[in-house]
Amino acid sequence: MTEVIINGKLPPPVRRSDGVIVPFNKDLIVKSLLKETQLVKELYNERPLTEEEARVIADEVQDEILGMRLKMLSGPLIREIVNVKLLEHGFAKQRNVYTRVGMPLYEVYKIDNSDGYESRENANLQPNPETFHKKKADFLSKESYLLMIPSHIADAHLRGDIHLHDLEYWGTRPFCQDWDLRYFFYYGLMPDGTGTHTSVAGPAKHAEVAILHAAKVLGAAQTNFAGGQGFFNFTVFMAPYLKDFDAKRLHQTAQMFLYEMTQLYVARGGQPVFSSIQIESGVPKVWQDAPVVSHGKKWPDLRYGDLEDTVHAFAVALLEEYLKGDAMGKMFNFPKPEVVQRARYWDDKEFEDVMLRAAELSAKFGSTYYDNMIPAYRGGEDGVSCFQCCAYSFSEDGKSENFQKKVMFEDGAHFSMGGMQVVTVNLPRVAYKSGGDEARLLEVLKSTMDIAKEALMLKKATIKRQFERGLIPFASQRPRGAPPAVDIDNLSLTIGFVGMNELVQHMTGYEIHEDPSAQKLALKVLIEMDKIRKSYSEETGEKFSIARTPAESAAQRFAVADLIHYPKFARDLVKGDLEKGLSLLNETKDVPVYYSNGAHVNVAAQLPLDQRLLIEQRFFPILKGGDIFHVWLGEANPDPEALMKLNMRLAKQSWVGYWSHTKDITVCRDCGYVGGGLNSSCPTCGSTSVRNYSRITGYYQDVSSWNAAKRQELKDRYRVRLS
Amino acid sequence: MSAGSGSSRNYTSGRGGGKGRGGGLGVGSSAEAYAPEIMPLSLCDFPGEPAIVIFFSGCNYRCGYCQNWKIREQDRSHLTRIDRIERLLEGGKLINACKVTGGEPLLQPEALMRIAKKAKSLGYKFGIDTNGTLPERLRGMLPMLDLVSIDVKTALNDFEYRKVTGVDNPMVDRVIESIRIALASSAFVDLRMVVIPGVNDSLEVVRSIGLDLNSMGYGEKASAGGASFTLVEFVPENAGSREYSMMRNPSVEELARLARAAPLRNVRISHRALGYCVSVEKIQL
Repeated sequence: MTEVIINGKLPPPVRRSDGVIVPFNKDLIVKSLLKETQLVKELYNERPLTEEEARVIADEVQDEILGMRLKMLSGPLIREIVNVKLLEHGFAKQRNVYTRVGMPLYEVYKIDNSDGYESRENANLQPNPETFHKKKADFLSKESYLLMIPSHIADAHLRGDIHLHDLEYWGTRPFCQDWDLRYFFYYGLMPDGTGTHTSVAGPAKHAEVAILHAAKVLGAAQTNFAGGQGFFNFTVFMAPYLKDFDAKRLHQTAQMFLYEMTQLYVARGGQPVFSSIQIESGVPKVWQDAPVVSHGKKWPDLRYGDLEDTVHAFAVALLEEYLKGDAMGKMFNFPKPEVVQRARYWDDKEFEDVMLRAAELSAKFGSTYYDNMIPAYRGGEDGVSCFQCCAYSFSEDGKSENFQKKVMFEDGAHFSMGGMQVVTVNLPRVAYKSGGDEARLLEVLKSTMDIAKEALMLKKATIKRQFERGLIPFASQRPRGAPPAVDIDNLSLTIGFVGMNELVQHMTGYEIHEDPSAQKLALKVLIEMDKIRKSYSEETGEKFSIARTPAESAAQRFAVADLIHYPKFARDLVKGDLEKGLSLLNETKDVPVYYSNGAHVNVAAQLPLDQRLLIEQRFFPILKGGDIFHVWLGEANPDPEALMKLNMRLAKQSWVGYWSHTKDITVCRDCGYVGGGLNSSCPTCGSTSVRNYSRITGYYQDVSSWNAAKRQELKDRYRVRLS
Repeated sequence: MSAGSGSSRNYTSGRGGGKGRGGGLGVGSSAEAYAPEIMPLSLCDFPGEPAIVIFFSGCNYRCGYCQNWKIREQDRSHLTRIDRIERLLEGGKLINACKVTGGEPLLQPEALMRIAKKAKSLGYKFGIDTNGTLPERLRGMLPMLDLVSIDVKTALNDFEYRKVTGVDNPMVDRVIESIRIALASSAFVDLRMVVIPGVNDSLEVVRSIGLDLNSMGYGEKASAGGASFTLVEFVPENAGSREYSMMRNPSVEELARLARAAPLRNVRISHRALGYCVSVEKIQL
């Protein structure tokens, strides 16, 4: 390559980002423009630059550089100059694909010091080397996906009309999955999904191996999915390995699983797997006559119904191990125990021990989740259904295609329930845009949901392509010609929502709990959302659902976005510490303001629990259970039997499909004290080295890692004890 | 009313109004009660039952550890219409029981009886917390009571009681009479002692309480599952007096040691570190 001398001037040499220094060569700009702008065709179906256009740009860039009197050039610097020229010529889309993504060095530095960018976006991420690496990757990933998706969707996300959850995984991972353990007990385990990078295990023959396989399934699955991983029907499918065990060995096995799931500290940048297990006390009707699948075979003469005593004993053992806590006496925050509620478990006194242990666990640590199958919308005793992650409900009713084949494990047919993606709608924003007019409100709702739907369809297409190329290998694995582990077409496309309370407050002047007119409007909006959802399903053949979003960061992000874009309205409606929020807004977006989640009543409302129940339970049937009812316990020492009776009422007499009791916990790092309440010093030894734990949205975590809005919400929570 | 893990809250004034007299120990009018707070759902005040808890203000003791000290004095702002309480009882969707605590509930017997009758007519279990100083009124309430929870402040003699209750005449003979009456009734009797280190946490105190209670018929009733003795963690953060708020709370181990020293059946411990009230046999140290 010869040196270029233009008008007697020599452009400075170029320090390229691939680590070499080369003379400036404008032909390389032309070449890269022609190559890289091909992407606009693939991403936006628009045309790349022509060679002539590329040459004009490259010439102008060269002139620009010569005028700058630089001693050294760098690849990124030239690229920025090219970007400016592309914009000047009106090639905005071409500039989108030609640009670099990355972050200021200052931010990188702060990340390594556990500060700055989204350091509290996900409370499950704790500061450690893996996390810092993940944060940098997340930043790059999010920025690039916002450029790659159509700009009106990206803008809707950035403006805060909608929230694209787990954006860093947009192009690579589906959301969540509840796995069918039988699949692995029949085919064995390939953690990499192909058997080329990891060893391949045959089906487990012993209980300990079965437990380890179960733990490793969730660990491996987490590398393929953005969200929660769980096992539905866990106690039932484990039972064949445990049938001859005495209580001691059952406890040992249960304990092993809890430790595996809370000590596999390797998922997604150094965090435990976000896991859950469904705990059945007995064998549900659907499974009574189904053949047992374990030890690599389908048993000709053994049915799950024959193992009911084992299922029952294992459920008790698991809950008793949860009750013990870890060696420090601290709770196991994962796998989330989802204790199934069925009429039979309440009516048959034999199961009272499970219900009591579940209540004891709620009273002691608040850990139990109650998965209520009794309300009719859950599909009764003829379906299969699970809660996942933070209260999305997935189900297959007995009439769905191949249901019986899956129950019988015919040719490896099995259940695969989960979510593809969640896109959340900012409902207060919808209200602001409507100008207070109800007809207009429904129109804006529809147009906002349309964007969410478009985003979801795009995600589905993207992930399906990845899946088919074998790029989500654990999910798409097909050991010995089995059907793929995950049924990628069966994953739900979920439209979430935040701030129903503030929507109706804007429209009616009342919060949900303040006036029947507000509740009526909330129901009307939800029913409309469900109608729109149904039309999407019919139009596309996809499984659309609507649900309350956990919105760990979205409830804050929407409130902040509205304080910026709709300050006149939002100042009256956002919850939390508005004054402090406004004063901090110029420095950080992590401020203590939020919207009420889903269709929940304002957490601070001075409302007896039964009154709140009457309001919130009405939303469950419309959401087909995709909601959670929070009981914020105020007492340090709830009586488990009283709590159990409250559970019985909620299970049998309400429409609530999923609830939990949240108990605030203080753990002392010096003396090991663990007790109820949020103390700033240890009640036993006085040490100030204490940690407070509470339920953030759908899981327990150290309060110090929560974002400012969620910490504010914790302060605002109106607890059962206080009237 | 006991301290520690029992009911506590921040009292707000402003409800009620009406024509009640300020100060002193009023009995309310027939339509109103000095009831500054109502807790629509509690999971720790009525053993085994989700309950509504009604707080009556006014007390004839001045215990320094009391966590409900703000309602020790009656104030006209505490007056609440009884029919309002009755409506709350009628509307309760999640409760099985009703408990009146305080303060000392038996200071307002008429209001207490009205609420008890309403609660019983709705099928709720009914119970009270009392310090035991009003045995005749307790006797009068007995037909209504499924639960009597009596504070045992310390060893049952005037000398020890004076130290804890802050009054010159703690009327321990009356407390003993109340315990006798309660133990002879069909109600479940929970005898509760808030354990305050340095004040009433000696082995001698619990041994003497144990002997006294057994002589009053505690042993038989507890064997039949009708009575319990509960050692409750003192919580300094909630204490009314400055002196007590500077003290420390007892550990689980200390409570367990006292529980084992008490020559009593069915002894339970309530401590934040246990998470909930458990019988002493279940505690592994």
